[in-house]
Amino acid sequence: MGAEIAALASFFGLTGFFATIGAVLAGWMAWRIVEKAGVPGWVGLGAALLTLTGIGSIVPLILLWVFAYMRWPRDEAAEAPAAFRVLPPAAAPVPQPMLAPPPPAALPLGDRRRWQLSGSLLSGERVVLAIEPASGSYLLTGGTPAGAHELGIADPSVGRPHARLLTSGTRLGLEDLGSAGGTLVDGARLGPEHGARDISQARAIRLGSVDLVLSRA
Amino acid sequence: MDPLPWILGAGAAVLFGLALLHLLVALLLIIPTWRIFRRAGFSGWLSMFHLLPVIGVLVVMAILAFSTWPAGEARRRD
Repeated sequence: MGAEIAALASFFGLTGFFATIGAVLAGWMAWRIVEKAGVPGWVGLGAALLTLTGIGSIVPLILLWVFAYMRWPRDEAAEAPAAFRVLPPAAAPVPQPMLAPPPPAALPLGDRRRWQLSGSLLSGERVVLAIEPASGSYLLTGGTPAGAHELGIADPSVGRPHARLLTSGTRLGLEDLGSAGGTLVDGARLGPEHGARDISQARAIRLGSVDLVLSRA
Repeated sequence: MDPLPWILGAGAAVLFGLALLHLLVALLLIIPTWRIFRRAGFSGWLSMFHLLPVIGVLVVMAILAFSTWPAGEARRRD
Protein backbone atom coordinates (compact mmCIF):
# COMPACT_ATOMS: atom_id res chain seq x y z
CA MET A 1 0.00 0.00 0.00
CA GLY A 2 2.81 2.39 0.96
CA ALA A 3 4.56 1.80 -2.37
CA GLU A 4 1.40 2.62 -4.32
CA ILE A 5 0.88 5.81 -2.33
CA ALA A 6 4.51 6.81 -2.94
CA ALA A 7 4.12 6.03 -6.66
CA LEU A 8 0.94 8.12 -6.84
CA ALA A 9 2.67 10.94 -4.99
CA SER A 10 5.55 11.03 -7.42
CA PHE A 11 3.20 10.71 -10.40
CA PHE A 12 1.05 13.71 -9.53
CA GLY A 13 3.70 15.55 -7.62
CA LEU A 14 3.15 16.12 -3.92
CA THR A 15 0.79 19.07 -4.45
CA GLY A 16 -1.37 17.14 -6.87
CA PHE A 17 -1.43 14.22 -4.44
CA PHE A 18 -2.71 16.35 -1.59
CA ALA A 19 -5.17 18.08 -3.93
CA THR A 20 -6.58 14.68 -4.95
CA ILE A 21 -6.97 13.60 -1.31
CA GLY A 22 -8.63 16.95 -0.55
CA ALA A 23 -11.02 16.63 -3.49
CA VAL A 24 -12.07 13.10 -2.53
CA LEU A 25 -12.56 14.15 1.11
CA ALA A 26 -14.50 17.27 0.08
CA GLY A 27 -16.75 15.27 -2.26
CA TRP A 28 -17.49 12.69 0.42
CA MET A 29 -18.23 15.36 3.06
CA ALA A 30 -20.39 17.39 0.66
CA TRP A 31 -22.39 14.20 -0.01
CA ARG A 32 -22.99 13.73 3.72
CA ILE A 33 -23.84 17.39 4.36
CA VAL A 34 -26.51 17.74 1.67
CA GLU A 35 -28.03 14.38 2.68
CA LYS A 36 -28.55 15.72 6.19
CA ALA A 37 -30.54 18.59 4.66
CA GLY A 38 -32.62 16.11 2.66
CA VAL A 39 -31.01 16.81 -0.75
CA PRO A 40 -29.74 13.77 -2.72
CA GLY A 41 -26.07 13.14 -1.92
CA TRP A 42 -24.82 13.12 -5.52
CA VAL A 43 -25.79 16.81 -5.81
CA GLY A 44 -23.25 17.70 -3.12
CA LEU A 45 -20.62 15.40 -4.58
CA GLY A 46 -21.11 16.92 -8.03
CA ALA A 47 -20.90 20.46 -6.66
CA ALA A 48 -17.63 19.68 -4.86
CA LEU A 49 -16.10 17.95 -7.89
CA LEU A 50 -16.98 20.91 -10.14
CA THR A 51 -13.96 22.59 -8.54
CA LEU A 52 -11.73 20.14 -10.45
CA THR A 53 -13.09 21.12 -13.85
CA GLY A 54 -12.13 24.16 -15.86
CA ILE A 55 -15.02 26.14 -14.44
CA GLY A 56 -12.94 26.84 -11.37
CA SER A 57 -14.30 27.55 -7.92
CA ILE A 58 -16.83 30.26 -8.74
CA VAL A 59 -19.64 27.81 -9.56
CA PRO A 60 -19.30 25.79 -6.29
CA LEU A 61 -19.25 29.14 -4.46
CA ILE A 62 -22.53 30.13 -6.08
CA LEU A 63 -23.98 26.67 -5.32
CA LEU A 64 -22.91 27.10 -1.67
CA TRP A 65 -24.95 30.32 -1.47
CA VAL A 66 -27.92 28.61 -3.14
CA PHE A 67 -27.68 25.70 -0.68
CA ALA A 68 -27.57 28.08 2.31
CA TYR A 69 -30.69 29.97 1.30
CA MET A 70 -32.81 27.34 -0.47
CA ARG A 71 -35.69 25.44 1.17
CA TRP A 72 -34.40 22.17 2.57
CA PRO A 73 -36.54 19.03 2.19
CA ARG A 74 -35.68 18.31 5.84
CA ASP A 75 -37.66 21.37 6.98
CA GLU A 76 -40.69 20.47 4.87
CA ALA A 77 -40.82 16.97 6.36
CA ALA A 78 -40.41 18.23 9.91
CA GLU A 79 -42.99 20.99 9.72
CA ALA A 80 -45.99 20.41 11.93
CA PRO A 81 -49.37 20.13 10.21
CA ALA A 82 -51.58 23.22 10.39
CA ALA A 83 -53.88 21.65 12.98
CA PHE A 84 -51.05 21.63 15.52
CA ARG A 85 -50.20 25.26 15.11
CA VAL A 86 -53.64 26.79 15.68
CA LEU A 87 -53.96 25.40 19.22
CA PRO A 88 -53.40 28.24 21.70
CA PRO A 89 -50.85 27.40 24.42
CA ALA A 90 -53.38 27.50 27.27
CA ALA A 91 -56.23 25.75 25.45
CA ALA A 92 -56.30 22.62 27.54
CA PRO A 93 -56.03 23.82 31.16
CA VAL A 94 -58.83 26.44 30.95
CA PRO A 95 -61.98 24.96 32.52
CA GLN A 96 -65.15 25.69 30.59
CA PRO A 97 -68.04 24.43 32.77
CA MET A 98 -70.71 26.38 30.88
CA LEU A 99 -69.94 24.82 27.52
CA ALA A 100 -70.85 21.37 26.32
CA PRO A 101 -67.83 19.15 25.67
CA PRO A 102 -66.64 19.47 22.08
CA PRO A 103 -67.71 16.67 19.75
CA PRO A 104 -64.96 14.14 19.08
CA ALA A 105 -63.09 14.93 15.90
CA ALA A 106 -63.71 12.69 12.93
CA LEU A 107 -60.83 10.31 12.39
CA PRO A 108 -59.60 9.93 8.83
CA LEU A 109 -59.35 6.33 7.59
CA GLY A 110 -60.99 5.14 10.80
CA ASP A 111 -57.68 4.65 12.59
CA ARG A 112 -58.82 4.64 16.20
CA ARG A 113 -55.79 3.00 17.71
CA ARG A 114 -54.39 4.76 20.74
CA TRP A 115 -50.88 6.16 20.93
CA GLN A 116 -48.72 4.66 23.62
CA LEU A 117 -45.52 5.97 25.16
CA SER A 118 -43.78 3.39 27.30
CA GLY A 119 -40.46 3.14 29.07
CA SER A 120 -38.70 2.64 32.37
CA LEU A 121 -37.64 5.21 34.95
CA LEU A 122 -34.27 5.19 36.70
CA SER A 123 -36.06 3.92 39.82
CA GLY A 124 -37.04 0.80 37.86
CA GLU A 125 -40.67 1.87 37.79
CA ARG A 126 -42.40 1.25 34.45
CA VAL A 127 -44.32 4.08 32.84
CA VAL A 128 -47.00 3.60 30.18
CA LEU A 129 -48.88 6.61 28.86
CA ALA A 130 -51.93 6.05 26.69
CA ILE A 131 -53.03 8.92 24.45
CA GLU A 132 -56.45 8.95 22.82
CA PRO A 133 -56.29 9.80 19.11
CA ALA A 134 -59.10 12.41 19.27
CA SER A 135 -57.95 16.02 18.84
CA GLY A 136 -56.49 17.35 22.01
CA SER A 137 -53.51 18.64 23.91
CA TYR A 138 -51.69 17.01 26.79
CA LEU A 139 -48.96 18.32 29.06
CA LEU A 140 -46.11 15.98 29.93
CA THR A 141 -44.94 16.82 33.43
CA GLY A 142 -42.46 15.43 35.94
CA GLY A 143 -44.82 16.25 38.80
CA THR A 144 -48.17 14.83 39.82
CA PRO A 145 -50.66 15.22 36.96
CA ALA A 146 -53.34 17.78 37.88
CA GLY A 147 -56.08 16.58 35.54
CA ALA A 148 -56.96 14.46 32.57
CA HIS A 149 -54.98 16.71 30.23
CA GLU A 150 -51.72 16.11 32.12
CA LEU A 151 -49.55 13.00 31.87
CA GLY A 152 -47.11 12.41 34.70
CA ILE A 153 -43.63 10.92 34.40
CA ALA A 154 -42.28 10.79 37.95
CA ASP A 155 -38.64 11.56 37.27
CA PRO A 156 -36.55 14.51 38.49
CA SER A 157 -35.04 15.04 35.02
CA VAL A 158 -38.48 15.71 33.51
CA GLY A 159 -39.59 19.34 33.65
CA ARG A 160 -42.83 20.56 35.23
CA PRO A 161 -44.18 20.86 32.64
CA HIS A 162 -41.70 19.41 30.16
CA ALA A 163 -43.44 19.18 26.79
CA ARG A 164 -46.83 19.28 25.13
CA LEU A 165 -48.34 16.42 23.13
CA LEU A 166 -50.85 17.35 20.45
CA THR A 167 -53.12 14.83 18.79
CA SER A 168 -55.07 15.42 15.63
CA GLY A 169 -56.59 12.52 13.79
CA THR A 170 -53.87 10.10 12.81
CA ARG A 171 -51.08 12.46 13.73
CA LEU A 172 -49.22 13.10 16.93
CA GLY A 173 -47.22 16.25 17.61
CA LEU A 174 -44.66 17.07 20.28
CA GLU A 175 -43.56 20.50 21.44
CA ASP A 176 -40.76 21.11 23.93
CA LEU A 177 -41.63 23.76 26.50
CA GLY A 178 -38.06 24.90 27.18
CA SER A 179 -37.33 22.23 29.76
CA ALA A 180 -33.82 22.05 31.23
CA GLY A 181 -33.52 18.30 30.64
CA GLY A 182 -34.18 18.64 26.91
CA THR A 183 -36.15 16.52 24.48
CA LEU A 184 -34.82 14.15 21.82
CA VAL A 185 -36.88 12.70 18.97
CA ASP A 186 -35.09 9.68 17.46
CA GLY A 187 -31.84 11.10 18.79
CA ALA A 188 -32.32 14.61 17.33
CA ARG A 189 -32.80 17.48 19.78
CA LEU A 190 -36.23 19.09 19.75
CA GLY A 191 -35.93 22.60 21.17
CA PRO A 192 -38.65 25.10 22.11
CA GLU A 193 -37.59 27.16 19.08
CA HIS A 194 -38.72 24.37 16.76
CA GLY A 195 -42.37 24.55 17.81
CA ALA A 196 -44.59 21.51 17.46
CA ARG A 197 -43.16 18.68 15.38
CA ASP A 198 -45.00 15.72 13.88
CA ILE A 199 -43.72 12.59 15.66
CA SER A 200 -46.24 10.12 14.16
CA GLN A 201 -43.41 8.27 12.44
CA ALA A 202 -40.95 8.61 15.31
CA ARG A 203 -39.87 5.69 17.44
CA ALA A 204 -37.78 6.86 20.38
CA ILE A 205 -38.64 9.89 22.50
CA ARG A 206 -36.30 11.03 25.27
CA LEU A 207 -37.51 13.47 27.94
CA GLY A 208 -34.69 14.51 30.29
CA SER A 209 -33.06 11.14 31.01
CA VAL A 210 -36.21 9.06 30.47
CA ASP A 211 -36.30 6.97 27.29
CA LEU A 212 -39.77 6.29 25.91
CA VAL A 213 -40.83 4.16 22.96
CA LEU A 214 -43.75 5.36 20.84
CA SER A 215 -46.13 2.71 19.59
CA ARG A 216 -49.77 2.31 18.63
CA ALA A 217 -52.17 -0.10 20.28
CA MET B 1 18.36 57.21 -3.31
CA ASP B 2 18.26 54.21 -0.97
CA PRO B 3 16.12 51.46 -2.57
CA LEU B 4 15.59 49.48 0.65
CA PRO B 5 12.58 51.46 2.00
CA TRP B 6 10.93 51.11 -1.41
CA ILE B 7 11.37 47.33 -1.49
CA LEU B 8 10.11 47.00 2.09
CA GLY B 9 7.17 49.23 1.30
CA ALA B 10 6.24 47.28 -1.83
CA GLY B 11 6.50 43.99 0.10
CA ALA B 12 4.25 45.30 2.84
CA ALA B 13 1.74 46.50 0.26
CA VAL B 14 1.67 43.08 -1.44
CA LEU B 15 1.23 41.30 1.92
CA PHE B 16 -1.55 43.69 2.90
CA GLY B 17 -3.27 43.12 -0.45
CA LEU B 18 -3.03 39.33 -0.05
CA ALA B 19 -4.45 39.50 3.47
CA LEU B 20 -7.30 41.70 2.24
CA LEU B 21 -8.04 39.30 -0.62
CA HIS B 22 -8.02 36.36 1.81
CA LEU B 23 -10.50 38.15 4.09
CA LEU B 24 -12.74 38.97 1.14
CA VAL B 25 -12.81 35.35 -0.10
CA ALA B 26 -13.34 34.11 3.47
CA LEU B 27 -16.26 36.52 3.86
CA LEU B 28 -17.89 35.10 0.72
CA LEU B 29 -17.69 31.67 2.36
CA ILE B 30 -18.51 32.74 5.93
CA ILE B 31 -21.88 34.35 5.13
CA PRO B 32 -23.54 31.24 3.60
CA THR B 33 -21.90 28.79 6.03
CA TRP B 34 -22.99 30.94 8.98
CA ARG B 35 -26.56 30.39 7.80
CA ILE B 36 -26.00 26.67 7.20
CA PHE B 37 -24.57 26.26 10.73
CA ARG B 38 -27.54 28.15 12.22
CA ARG B 39 -30.01 25.99 10.26
CA ALA B 40 -28.19 22.85 11.37
CA GLY B 41 -28.53 23.99 14.98
CA PHE B 42 -24.92 25.03 15.66
CA SER B 43 -23.45 28.40 16.56
CA GLY B 44 -22.76 30.54 13.51
CA TRP B 45 -19.30 31.37 14.87
CA LEU B 46 -18.09 27.93 13.72
CA SER B 47 -18.07 29.38 10.19
CA MET B 48 -15.06 31.48 11.26
CA PHE B 49 -12.91 28.38 10.58
CA HIS B 50 -12.94 29.69 7.00
CA LEU B 51 -10.35 32.23 8.17
CA LEU B 52 -7.80 29.38 8.43
CA PRO B 53 -5.81 29.38 5.22
CA VAL B 54 -5.99 26.27 2.98
CA ILE B 55 -7.61 23.79 5.40
CA GLY B 56 -10.39 26.06 6.71
CA VAL B 57 -12.94 24.84 4.16
CA LEU B 58 -12.18 21.20 4.98
CA VAL B 59 -12.55 21.87 8.74
CA VAL B 60 -15.96 23.50 8.24
CA MET B 61 -17.14 20.68 5.95
CA ALA B 62 -15.90 18.02 8.39
CA ILE B 63 -17.84 19.59 11.27
CA LEU B 64 -21.04 19.64 9.22
CA ALA B 65 -20.54 16.20 7.69
CA PHE B 66 -19.56 14.13 10.72
CA SER B 67 -21.66 15.62 13.51
CA THR B 68 -25.25 14.99 14.44
CA TRP B 69 -27.17 18.14 13.59
CA PRO B 70 -28.88 19.43 16.75
CA ALA B 71 -31.77 20.87 14.74
CA GLY B 72 -32.50 17.49 13.18
CA GLU B 73 -31.48 15.73 9.99
CA ALA B 74 -33.48 14.45 7.06
CA ARG B 75 -34.54 10.84 7.51
CA ARG B 76 -32.27 8.50 5.58
CA ARG B 77 -34.08 6.51 2.94
CA ASP B 78 -33.48 2.91 3.86
